[in-house]
Amino acid sequence: MQMWVYVVRRAALVIPVVIGVMTVLFVLISALPTVERTCSFYHPSGRTSPCTTQIPCSTDPSKLCPNPVYQSAVNALGLNKPIFVQWAIYIGNALTFQWGYVAQGSALGTGETGSGLPSLAGQSVATVLSEFLPYTIELALLALLIILVVSIPLGNLSAVYRNRPIDQASRVMSFSGYALPAFLLGSLILAGVTFALGGPAAPSKICGGTSTVFLDFYGSWPTPPCTPLYGTANIGPVGYPAWLSIGYISTPTGFPTVDSAIHGQYWLALDTLLRLVLPALVIAYTTIAGLLRFVRNSMLEVMNQDFIRTARAKGLPEQTVIKKHAGRNSLNVTITVLGLTFAGFITGFPVVEIVFNLWGVGRIYAYSVVGGVNDWDFGVLFGTTLLFTYLVVAANIIVDIMYAYLDPRVRLG
Amino acid sequence: MSAAQPISPASPAVDTGTPAPSPLSLPIEAPAAAPDLRPVVLDVRNLVTYFYTYDGVVRALEGVSFKLRRGETLGLVGETGCGKSVTMFSVTRLIPDPPGRVVSGKVLFRGADLLWGLGHEARFIPVKGTNRVKVKRSFRRVKAAQARVGSVRGAGIAMIFQEPTQAMNPIFAIHDQLGEVLLEHRGEEVIDGLMASTPDLPAVRAAAEALERSVKVSDEAMRAAAKAVGEAAHLTSFGTQAFYMARQARTSGQGNLATEVSRAASRMRISGAQASFLRGERELRKIAREMRSVYISEMRRGEFERVNRGRLGARRLRLRLRRIPYRLPGIKRRVSRPLREETFWRAVQALEGVQIANPVQVARGFPHELSGGMLQRVMISMALACDPEILMADEPTTALDVTIQAQILELMNELRRRIGTAILLITHDLAVIAEVADRVAVMYAGQIVEMASVHDLFTRPLHPYTQGLLASIPRVDQPSKKLESIPGSVPNLIFPPSGCRYHPRCPHAMPVCKEQRPPMTVEGTGHNVACFLYNGAPVVE
Amino acid sequence: MAARYAQYKRTWYFLRRNTLAMVGLAIIILFAAAFVYGLTYPASSSTPVQYCASNGPVPVSPDNPCYDAPYIVCTYPSGTVSPGPGCYQTPPDNPNFIAPTFTLAHGLGAFPFGSLVYPSADLSTSDPLFYNTYTMLEKGTVNSVGLSVLIVATGAGVGLLLGALSGYFGGWIDEIVMRITDIFLSIPAILLVIAVIIVGKSSGLRSFDETLVLIGIAFVVVWWPFYARIVRSQSLVVREQRYVEAAKASGASNGRIIVKHVVPNSVYPVFVQMSLDVGTIPLLLAAITFIGFVLFPYPLIPEWGSVAAAGASILTAVFTECGVKGAVCAVPWWQVAFPGLAIFFFSLSVNFLADGLRDALDPRLRR
Repeated sequence: MQMWVYVVRRAALVIPVVIGVMTVLFVLISALPTVERTCSFYHPSGRTSPCTTQIPCSTDPSKLCPNPVYQSAVNALGLNKPIFVQWAIYIGNALTFQWGYVAQGSALGTGETGSGLPSLAGQSVATVLSEFLPYTIELALLALLIILVVSIPLGNLSAVYRNRPIDQASRVMSFSGYALPAFLLGSLILAGVTFALGGPAAPSKICGGTSTVFLDFYGSWPTPPCTPLYGTANIGPVGYPAWLSIGYISTPTGFPTVDSAIHGQYWLALDTLLRLVLPALVIAYTTIAGLLRFVRNSMLEVMNQDFIRTARAKGLPEQTVIKKHAGRNSLNVTITVLGLTFAGFITGFPVVEIVFNLWGVGRIYAYSVVGGVNDWDFGVLFGTTLLFTYLVVAANIIVDIMYAYLDPRVRLG
Repeated sequence: MSAAQPISPASPAVDTGTPAPSPLSLPIEAPAAAPDLRPVVLDVRNLVTYFYTYDGVVRALEGVSFKLRRGETLGLVGETGCGKSVTMFSVTRLIPDPPGRVVSGKVLFRGADLLWGLGHEARFIPVKGTNRVKVKRSFRRVKAAQARVGSVRGAGIAMIFQEPTQAMNPIFAIHDQLGEVLLEHRGEEVIDGLMASTPDLPAVRAAAEALERSVKVSDEAMRAAAKAVGEAAHLTSFGTQAFYMARQARTSGQGNLATEVSRAASRMRISGAQASFLRGERELRKIAREMRSVYISEMRRGEFERVNRGRLGARRLRLRLRRIPYRLPGIKRRVSRPLREETFWRAVQALEGVQIANPVQVARGFPHELSGGMLQRVMISMALACDPEILMADEPTTALDVTIQAQILELMNELRRRIGTAILLITHDLAVIAEVADRVAVMYAGQIVEMASVHDLFTRPLHPYTQGLLASIPRVDQPSKKLESIPGSVPNLIFPPSGCRYHPRCPHAMPVCKEQRPPMTVEGTGHNVACFLYNGAPVVE
Repeated sequence: MAARYAQYKRTWYFLRRNTLAMVGLAIIILFAAAFVYGLTYPASSSTPVQYCASNGPVPVSPDNPCYDAPYIVCTYPSGTVSPGPGCYQTPPDNPNFIAPTFTLAHGLGAFPFGSLVYPSADLSTSDPLFYNTYTMLEKGTVNSVGLSVLIVATGAGVGLLLGALSGYFGGWIDEIVMRITDIFLSIPAILLVIAVIIVGKSSGLRSFDETLVLIGIAFVVVWWPFYARIVRSQSLVVREQRYVEAAKASGASNGRIIVKHVVPNSVYPVFVQMSLDVGTIPLLLAAITFIGFVLFPYPLIPEWGSVAAAGASILTAVFTECGVKGAVCAVPWWQVAFPGLAIFFFSLSVNFLADGLRDALDPRLRR
């Protein structure tokens, strides 16, 4: 069948999965106590008043009843209706990106996150996430590029030269990456750089001073004088808070690197990009570890197939046999496994973003679960979970489409 | 089948089924009594192949020797597991190297020993206390040996295999895979033909109009007119293209065939960039050909030619570096278009040659879209595309229905008559042998036990195993009470029987059979047998 | 029976030839011994031991507050879990210092251990027990390894059951189970685990035991789809085999076929996957703690990942504030290093073994 028909069919298959994911989250949410479910989720004031304050009842002033704000929240969520209606309302909200508000009592709401992020209380979760998402996407794309460029050739070579030095080396890389926790790796790199530089560098400034990317590791360059466009905020020594762009620099695309380039601030674009290299390497290393074995095994499997023997029997040079016939076929399995590793890929983001002081969705997620029971931000928590799920699902669709492009047998349906 | 001119498809595209041959019911002509004076194209001497596995050393081939002469069909018969396929793979070193290994032997082809260098490539270390043997291979030498033998594969010795549905790469179209072989071995001719083509537009236009008129006349007229178009364009594959365009026009009833053909001809013009791309390709193929001749001379003379290899390798590297710009995605498509089209139509010609009815559709399709019979035809066309001297066929029809089987065998026969390729046909089906082969070699447990012409073998089988095989064929014209079979079962090749490997099952076994391996002796013109029951003169190598 | 024994012998032969797998096996045996030992090993005494990385002045830059202190000490104000960096005074001599049986300390000479002031969760007494690093490693082995094995076993069990049923019966059961696994595979593991635990804790399950059960449930919920997928593809293959047809023809019930044929044939890839996953659980727990989610309330229990991550979470900030030497002063690096190394070696050796097992069981590698 045609490619676009396949694409449409594949995209349609996704809908029950997405609804299913939302259902799972709905089940979890319904297990929360009622106050959390209403106020913490769907009211800008969160767990604090006015949503949670109780007022004397109109019927019996000696008892306390929920106030009208609370009541309206309950009505909006359908909590006084049967569970099926609640489910429907939740699905509707989730699909239309009404994911609640940032709670006032949480770390994000009060602004106690260190690194200068202002309080985000009361803002819609979806808006907040959309502002921080591009940074994570940039990081993810860079990491993905590194993963593809390294794992596919290395895996193929390990299969072709089985048990030779390159296979042993890739095995070492694979094992060490698998066993090393991401935070340890990141911390080690950080420690290494600090040690090499002999100490932390002066704080980096976005304007009116020098910008030192990653503790002076790459070098430093002067920044333009501060204008009201930039404000007077400093950048922390390691990261570049994306929030600086909120309201300070106009962001046509939302992606910091692209926007800086659009504004002609090429040094800022380079700055942003360089800050992403080391975190991307850390994420890539841990993902390659798992992927490398699969690439190798799929290549081994392909090389045992009959058509490789035919290709050799045709008198084709060995390099052609390996690259053209074996390589293209093993790409199929590789792409599939890459799709499967996306979910694990996501796991690395919160950790890496914290270690390297970047401000992306993973960091936001981390701050929603930090602290004690009263500090949890359910709106952000479940919103980020849903967002990451959307990303995984989208990635899987793309992977399937690429798979169909590569392997004509799949298109038969 | 030469790719330079299309085989004239005089036969109609529709295949008429021939009835399946039944064993011994067709008369087999006795050949002339004169000894065979045709030159030997393949001389296999004492081939020994073992597989080194966890359970022990599988002695798959223990001293197999035979000669293949030009134009003859040698059948290699035996039960499953007797080593027929292993023989074929050992000749061209397609044995999977761990765990298998061609231990010793000589295979002479075009004056070169394809198995030269075996002794230097591996060392064998028996593991004490077990049946295992550890093999230490020199990776470098094995790789070099593969490259050497690879030089004769495809154009010197071609092969087709048992399961056609598995034998082709599922993600590449048929024309792609056919074109690969053509370009690899006949690339220079193809490119020369392409560069010499000049779309002489007025002549082409005239020929195209003639073609359009012939559409209504008949198929033969169409073919002749299409051929004329090709001549006008100085490119025979264009003639093929014109023919199929005409066929399309006939079925769809369009009237502007001449314009279409002329337009196609005008597109044939090769731009400067395309020409330089083609020249580079041609040079690469030339270097490949020279490397192949270096490999052959290595095998002939028995020594490693470092200087020549290095020189050619450096030339190729320089050329490849210069051609890097041609690999960029946008440029590559445009610059290689003439070559790709030319290859496509040559592939169509090749498919015509194996009597495929709708070659354009098949060429555009993928392997999973075709049936087993069609795929086997495609495999045959791939194998014969470069006029090989030898075709080795490993059970080519076992996976196919009986009617298709007959068609494939008939096709192989016809192509052999036309081109003169020697065929080594491996099968367990005696009926196929009776139909197709000139000479037969019977194999048992890794050894050849009898070798004779087909007539002699069927009328006067000498070796007890052959006799048992022939006796076990059920005969329609002689209903008997029970089916005959050979008692016992195929021996374990890790612990093969001593002496003659057939002695445990042989009704005529003698004490000497257990002790010594019987030598191959001559028992009549061209009839050799390895059995102590006969004591003719030993076969001279 | 004899055939199966021969197959085990053959697998063991190939495993033996793989040096990495043997190294992994040796290390795992060490861990297993530590596990058994740790089950009986008591936590150390009830007085918190307060020591720092070295005795004596540490060369740090003059503006570092640790510069002039006679003893570089780090103690933690009671009641906190992750202390802020700082320097405090404390008497140096304390009888409860090094556990004498830990030979690594002896071998490395002046490489003393610090202590952790994490009281144990021994709720049977009101007297909290404290751990030094060695004890923490011992007890941590029990918790980490035990948790991993339990979770993987349960997850594999659930996955095996559902996968076998779904693959064997096909039809709508298959469709439903496949959709469900799709759903669970789309949600990233760490997020779902945290979500489940958070929901549990908000609903009141805060005590230590309840937290452990929550963790177990969360991980099992996340992990079973992988196994279900593997088993399903295997049962699809097994279903088509002739011996299943023969079994059905001779009247075997579906349950019997599943138990006798489908399950044993899918056990090998499941086993390989299980061994891989056992090494991953401590890593995930570490990641969860690192991003700030407090898994175990105060009192804390020793679990490699949580302890290492708790220390590491302030590591990065301190590095950039104080530099490496200042961090050595102010941060319990041993709290990060030793559990981190334990995770690393445990995971590494499990991976070696699992990879060796996979290669040994792979029929395609033409032995």
